[in-house]
Amino acid sequence: MTEARADFVIVGSTPTARLVAGLLASAHGKSVVFSGESQSGYRLPRGVDLSVAPITRPETWALLKAGLPETLRLISRMGGRRAWSRVDPILFSEAAAGREALAHVRHMALAFGHAAERLPAKVIGPGREGLLLRDTVLLHRPTLEIALDAWLDQHSVRRLRDGEVLTVRADGSAELAAGEERLDIAQTVLADDPAIVTHVTTAQWPALLLRQVASTILTEPTLPIAAPVMHRLDTGLTLVQQQAGRGVVAMGPGAIDPFAAALGVLLDKERQFRQAGQSSYETLLTADAAPALGRLRGTGPDVIAGLGPSGAFLAPAIARWLCGKGTPAENAWLGARLVDRQAVSSSVAEFGAAA
Amino acid sequence: MKGQPNRLGIDPPHHLQGSAIDRTRPLQFRLDGRVISGFAGDTVLSAVLASGIDTIGQRGGAPLALSLRHAPTISFAALAADHQRTLPMERTPATDGVEYVTTARKLRSNPLMRLLARGSRSLNIDLDRADALARPWIGSPAEPGPEVELVVVGGGVAGLTAALAAARRGLRVALIEAAPRLGGTLRLFGTQEGEQTPDEAIARLTAAVAQVDAITVLTSAEVFALRPGVVRLHQVEMLEGTPTGRVVGIRAPHIVLATGSLERLPVFPGNRLPGVIGALEAYELAQLYGVWAGASALVATSSSPAYRLAMLATDAGIAVPRIIDSRPHPQSRFIEFSRAYGITQAAGTIIAATTASPKGRGLMVLPRLSMGTLSRTEAPLPVDRLVVCGGWQPDLTLWHMAGGESAWNATRTRLEPRGGPAGIALAGSAGGWLSRSACTASGSDAVDALLGRQRRAVEERLIDPIYETPDAPAPLGDVPDEVAPPAYLDGGWRHIERPRLKASRWPAWLPFAPPPPGWSLADTPQPLDIADIAAGVQLGAIPAASAGIVAQERVAMVVIEGGGASAAGLPPAPLPPLYLRDRYQGAALWLVAPTEARVLDVGALIYRDADETDPLKAIGVVVRIVNGKAVALIAGHAEMAASVREPGRAIGIRVVTPYQEGMRLDA
Repeated sequence: MTEARADFVIVGSTPTARLVAGLLASAHGKSVVFSGESQSGYRLPRGVDLSVAPITRPETWALLKAGLPETLRLISRMGGRRAWSRVDPILFSEAAAGREALAHVRHMALAFGHAAERLPAKVIGPGREGLLLRDTVLLHRPTLEIALDAWLDQHSVRRLRDGEVLTVRADGSAELAAGEERLDIAQTVLADDPAIVTHVTTAQWPALLLRQVASTILTEPTLPIAAPVMHRLDTGLTLVQQQAGRGVVAMGPGAIDPFAAALGVLLDKERQFRQAGQSSYETLLTADAAPALGRLRGTGPDVIAGLGPSGAFLAPAIARWLCGKGTPAENAWLGARLVDRQAVSSSVAEFGAAA
Repeated sequence: MKGQPNRLGIDPPHHLQGSAIDRTRPLQFRLDGRVISGFAGDTVLSAVLASGIDTIGQRGGAPLALSLRHAPTISFAALAADHQRTLPMERTPATDGVEYVTTARKLRSNPLMRLLARGSRSLNIDLDRADALARPWIGSPAEPGPEVELVVVGGGVAGLTAALAAARRGLRVALIEAAPRLGGTLRLFGTQEGEQTPDEAIARLTAAVAQVDAITVLTSAEVFALRPGVVRLHQVEMLEGTPTGRVVGIRAPHIVLATGSLERLPVFPGNRLPGVIGALEAYELAQLYGVWAGASALVATSSSPAYRLAMLATDAGIAVPRIIDSRPHPQSRFIEFSRAYGITQAAGTIIAATTASPKGRGLMVLPRLSMGTLSRTEAPLPVDRLVVCGGWQPDLTLWHMAGGESAWNATRTRLEPRGGPAGIALAGSAGGWLSRSACTASGSDAVDALLGRQRRAVEERLIDPIYETPDAPAPLGDVPDEVAPPAYLDGGWRHIERPRLKASRWPAWLPFAPPPPGWSLADTPQPLDIADIAAGVQLGAIPAASAGIVAQERVAMVVIEGGGASAAGLPPAPLPPLYLRDRYQGAALWLVAPTEARVLDVGALIYRDADETDPLKAIGVVVRIVNGKAVALIAGHAEMAASVREPGRAIGIRVVTPYQEGMRLDA
């Protein structure tokens, strides 16, 4: 039996998880193990990666604005121009509370120099208010995932193979068993929802994280939607127009049948759709709708949750913070969003908070 | 048989002369203006195929075969505008004197071409349109079906046995079969020692079902949606001599899925050209309707029952120049018999590619010897027809729709069922069983499992592999280049193609040569049928370990619940909203008034002075307009002056008075 040591294991399949793993290895010289599936080429997506989100907190806008060029350079270098594109997503709402939040997001976007336009009802549909955010970066997961996996290999990030077993301990360390080989890992980072659901025990489960059933539906080709990406603030439903084939991917909370029924109402009769695929799964939301990061109970595994669609663009900041090399602004932002915070008195709550 | 070039003769008698048709009762109907001849007992599709039409239309400029799994919907010409009245060609009985039209959009052509097209072999459907093969009834409301405790989907031997077993246990049963008659696909697979002939077994079981009042049989009824306890189907029934479609919903606590197996399509360029047909479909069309196109047929298989078809075709006067088998050393009782017929056999050989014959009808088939490292392309073979069989995949479509799981069996190269939802059980070959005895026994066993009764072990009776070589994986032929006809993964509606090889301007070894484009099935905006998934695993597009979950994700599910509430009527949230908590130190709700006559923008940030634009230095925000007055969350005091930043300009404001929700505000 041989034993070795690694600094971090990153568990998760999202671009954020891959970017954090790769940055820890490439930019910070850490020895890193990555445990995540490469499924974007054939599984239905569970999320979208955008450089904007319905964010109301100025400090988050500031961090995102600072992180965008760095992330984009990295992604362009690894995946080329096919790994991302610029789109004009639409945020919209039917409910009064959502409209107010949308108005706030618009002014926040404008204040940070992001072109944001209010949309007339004839574009977005009667009874709705919409906000178009220009020149937003959309990552293409199937293409990017291949490039990120190659990048991880290039930087000697050890990827978990079939038959290898990862055991995450309550103190945040982990052990990787590969036949006779044992790899002792100093710190675990659970970087997406399935990773947290799989590895966090009931005893460790933080009160801030709430589980919910969510669904993805891929439609057969239908009439195009108003923008390549649309997000409904009231319900958390996101629509993504496929680049090829005129299908639409819808993601959001709810079991498949009620979600499909809600989607039918949203797309209305002009866009009657047939399902080309669907999946139901568990996602996490935070009680104050804000990101949650840091070590469980202060000493356990690190978690990364609630980042919404913009997590990938915060990956450089998260990687620096995990190594203790964050800037003052990054340290302040992440320090205010620790997973063990109290939701009822949260000073970082975002729209959709239930507390 | 005037006007029916693809109808087999009956002199001398043979097995493929059409058990479902009555040749003494000819009929004629029109389809898209063309006269179609047939016999009583035909379906619209079988009569159309018998009349020499073998092409559904074009996709990407290439013709595609018309088949049982790939046929358009039709409508009575007088009701063409009513899409809810459309009918499936393959389940609609042919009737005399009717005028039908295909409902899908046709390929564009000028009037002269349309006139000439009336004599062509194609229905001229534009398959590039996403809705070309849509089933409009899928969104229709359902009428209630029979009140039963158990539904059996599939009327083959397993389904028939399950229905009888359930009735014996005192349950009312609905037995649903997609084909116009019960019996399933057993006939192609022949008989093992000690068994009744397929015809005898089917006759015995169907007679028994007919005698049981507790069993309601729905034929020509295709289940298109299924959840635990709920089945939704579309049935074509004859009402006063007129084929009529209806959507039926059946609720039952127990469901047995005996949906059989799908025949895998070998993947090679041209595998869906007109003239290429699956062995099972070729057998069914010939055995039930006496339909067979062409005078010669090449058989290419990785499964032994195709040999039986080759012999039956030879009996019917079809020339079978060769049987190509991908297995290197196949053994089977059928193979021994076919040798006795004098049919040439080529083991370890696959179809590399097929093209349409340059001389009109017919195909040019390119075989390739493929045994281990040995690979040698042989001379092209001209034939009228290519019969292919790539093995069998349990049809788990409805199982996946209901939430059932499956996993890839690498030995048998197929998806097999795993755990499923309560109240649903699999039987027959859908459940992974192979032999007739096991399929039959699994029907009773499925009912016992659902009712929580003591179960008897189902035994698989398979012939020793020394004598009966197991099926090989579906053969994979050439990767199509940019000019070859497409290579499809399956023969159904989905049109999933194997990616083509694209010529690059640069040699692949150059560092700047662009990599070949990735193949993302996640972006494919059609459901993936289970045979598409199986082919995707073989081609490396889907890892075997994920095949089951992908099959479940990509099944063609149909919404059977209504609803979907609107959020439009929800009241506004209490002020201040949580996302503004602690935003501005010491802030409270105030009424603010602009120094000029205008309505302030909700969400606009408030600064101490007009020159400030840094949002991190804002002191407040306009949160709501109430009766024309602006409410702001602001760190300030009465009469304080501040500035609201709106796009392109700053507006002076004055803090007026503290705001409380419900306070009286005059407009």
